[in-house]
Amino acid sequence: MSPHLVLRVVAKMLIPLIALFAFYVQFHGDFGPGGGFQAGVILAAGIILYALVFGIDAAKKAVPPSWIRIGMSFGVLLYGGTGVATWMLGGNFLDYTQFAPESTHAAGQHWGIFAVELGVFCTVTCAMLAIFYAFGSRTPELSDEDW
Amino acid sequence: MHFSPIFILDFGLMAMLLVVAFAVVRIRSLFAIVMLQGVYSLLSAAWFVSLDAVDVAFTEAAVGAGISTVLMLGAMLLTDRQAKPIPVHQKMGPFLVVVVAGLAMFYAIGDMPAYGDALSPANAYIGAEYIEATKREIFIPNVVTAVLASYRGYDTFGETVVIFMAGLGVLLLLGLNGNAGKWRAKPNGHNIGEGAPTPARNPVENEPKPVAKSTKAKRTAKKTVGVKS
Amino acid sequence: MDIVSIFPAWVLTHGPALLVVLPLMMAVLTALAPNKNIAGVNIPWVMTGGTVVVCAILAFSVLMQVLSHGPINYAMGGWEPPIGIAYYIDALNAPILLLITLVAVLCTLYALPSVSAEVEPKKRAPFYAAFLVSFAGLLGMVTTGDAFNVFVFLEVSSISTYVLVAMGASRDRRALTAAYNYLIMGSIGATFLVIGIGFLYMQTGTLNMIDIARILQESGPDSRVVKLAFAFIVVGLGLKLAMFPLHTWLPGAYAYAPSFMTAFLAATATKAALYLLLRFTFTIFDPSWGFVGKSLMYLLAGMGILGMMVASLQAIFQNDLRRVLAFSSVAQVGYMLLGIGMATTLGVTAGYLHMINHAIMKGALFLAVGAFWYRFGITQVSDMRGLGKTMPLTMAAFTIAGLSLIGVPGTVGFVSKLALARAAAENGWWWAIGVIVVTSILAIVYIGRLIEQAYFHEPPNQGGGTLAKNEAPLIMLIPLWILAISALVFGINAEWTTSLARTAADVLSGGPIVNMPYIAGGH
Repeated sequence: MSPHLVLRVVAKMLIPLIALFAFYVQFHGDFGPGGGFQAGVILAAGIILYALVFGIDAAKKAVPPSWIRIGMSFGVLLYGGTGVATWMLGGNFLDYTQFAPESTHAAGQHWGIFAVELGVFCTVTCAMLAIFYAFGSRTPELSDEDW
Repeated sequence: MHFSPIFILDFGLMAMLLVVAFAVVRIRSLFAIVMLQGVYSLLSAAWFVSLDAVDVAFTEAAVGAGISTVLMLGAMLLTDRQAKPIPVHQKMGPFLVVVVAGLAMFYAIGDMPAYGDALSPANAYIGAEYIEATKREIFIPNVVTAVLASYRGYDTFGETVVIFMAGLGVLLLLGLNGNAGKWRAKPNGHNIGEGAPTPARNPVENEPKPVAKSTKAKRTAKKTVGVKS
Repeated sequence: MDIVSIFPAWVLTHGPALLVVLPLMMAVLTALAPNKNIAGVNIPWVMTGGTVVVCAILAFSVLMQVLSHGPINYAMGGWEPPIGIAYYIDALNAPILLLITLVAVLCTLYALPSVSAEVEPKKRAPFYAAFLVSFAGLLGMVTTGDAFNVFVFLEVSSISTYVLVAMGASRDRRALTAAYNYLIMGSIGATFLVIGIGFLYMQTGTLNMIDIARILQESGPDSRVVKLAFAFIVVGLGLKLAMFPLHTWLPGAYAYAPSFMTAFLAATATKAALYLLLRFTFTIFDPSWGFVGKSLMYLLAGMGILGMMVASLQAIFQNDLRRVLAFSSVAQVGYMLLGIGMATTLGVTAGYLHMINHAIMKGALFLAVGAFWYRFGITQVSDMRGLGKTMPLTMAAFTIAGLSLIGVPGTVGFVSKLALARAAAENGWWWAIGVIVVTSILAIVYIGRLIEQAYFHEPPNQGGGTLAKNEAPLIMLIPLWILAISALVFGINAEWTTSLARTAADVLSGGPIVNMPYIAGGH
């Protein structure tokens, strides 16, 4: 029987909720407080919780380090790419109005904000995990005596 | 001056912040310091809520109290549990800087706009314009999101790059699997410089294939230099 | 003649933004590129090289446009300033853009062999990516017309620079402490800067530089908040530009960073911070205000003079080759601050000119030192003996740049020191001329020591006989010699560089940038 049974059960219940909350914060950022940055941190916190309870190797199986570099880069590319797309459409850099110039309720702005927030979300989640993996992988196994 | 509940709450929170900050400076147990920093972040998040800056409060709670506490613990586990005592003469410099910077701020307090003044430049000029323009131009209820992602979206792009760079930085320096930092650089010729092993032992070599070189270099580094990381 | 017309209209409109966005996007792609050579081509290096070359062309087009058509405004996101972020480029920052991009081109050429020797093969792609981020950050700091955006890009460039300095650890573990030191000092500097900008916002309610300048002109210098903002900004930037005595991070960072990074840093990073100091003190605040004028005269010029003397003396007693040059950099920053502190057109011209010239000569010196390490693992002054024989071409370029640093006639160093002395004479600061002469003599001592080691000592014995000649590879020699030759060319005919500096100084003597119309592109 593995130790910390209670922790494991509680964590298993909490992690999906944390992830759900992260997505809520992400996609509800236009209406309430929050946005890509906070959502990314929350999702990363969920994964870190998983790593703390089930071990960093299990976490690395769930979210492999090779994804991290790609995810980090993808976020910036998505953000910058939104700007490049507005260039292609003939506007200034990050001028989201170009996505829907005719719209009466600023649909272009909504698309633009959605895209860049998603980019921030990707980069933040992956960068936070990168930092955690980098520190965590160097740690000797956590033992209770240390605390 | 009226003592509304909010006013008392603000002062209470700031007093607690001050106490926690002093405790962080005084305590030597790193574990306690990390935990107190989490407390500090949570208190400032609460204070931001009382200032009606919910977005900032949210970020502070998620980053300051959440992630950075975990990361600081991770870093602490790699180092030590106790901070080394710092001799007084080394503390004087930073102390002086803090005192001078603090006094400078006190000097300017008289000319600062009153707390919560709706007519202060920061609230009345561009700030008010953002609130007006968001309704007209962006059509979303959260003005903060509109400012962050659209009006000042370029700043946010820069911040995203900063975070990307932070991730890339740990990737470069530590590696995600905890195995970086053992590779040694080697001149592409005779090494006569400081720390050269024995002269003329490394014959002039053209650059070999990178992969082969790395493993070889790693092995020699372990044997000759014996650097532990 | 209209060089501007050869560039497509789109580039002319969006060039300023592309100049920063392109290296950022390419940095991200480079981070994903394969580390291994594919078909003998080093992919990350090619991507980096292509990016910096395109950026140099863009910077050239921007400079030409500014010189012929006046300042450029670019509204990010199509939001007109002051509600949005705007880029603002005039004759003050356009030359620095060209300087940074050209230095980056030369350093990237040099990086091909240098990085292979100094950076672990599997880290090359992220290493080049970090370099591009740092490059883009510097460009962003210089192009932007928004006070907070300055801070954002300062962070972009700083964080990548900390990492890049720490990457020198594969050569010398002390790089890690140097980078840590730099991180702490740099973060304190950035914090001071952002607090200062915050106070400016408190006073004016806006972040656009032109708008801040306008509101400050209306409200006048009396507010203590403005004075406080000024103090915080000067201290913050002083840390970044290694103003004496806030320079303590610099020698370590320069001494242990990877070779090509040291050259790039020495030639560009402090210059970008110095530009910001000029921008803030002269065009956002007003030098005719009492507290600004006094800080220029007593603080900047005073610290400049102190830095020139003390750092030059320290340079003499260093054993590490790159530390000698690093302390010399602190002293040279002192020259620039002295010129700026005079707050006259002549003085600022001299300071600005020295900034360009110093980039040329320090770039060359650090590139040469990197080549010494690349071939012989040399880091100490005493190991330099016989380099005149073993690496004649590299050493010759080093000598030219060294003589220029001393200020020998016919080199760029002489031109700017002469300009500085003239400006001091015009101001009646005769003692300053004395200091310039004294520090030049100190420069003879510390540079002479290196040159003497190289030319008047035999190469060390190595196995059977004396050390064989082993010149640096061509791809390292080319950028080195381009810089060394430009140190001579612009030393003999300084018309172009002087006129650039003069135009920049004219912008500054025009006072705060309040009368500039917003010419937004595209929108």
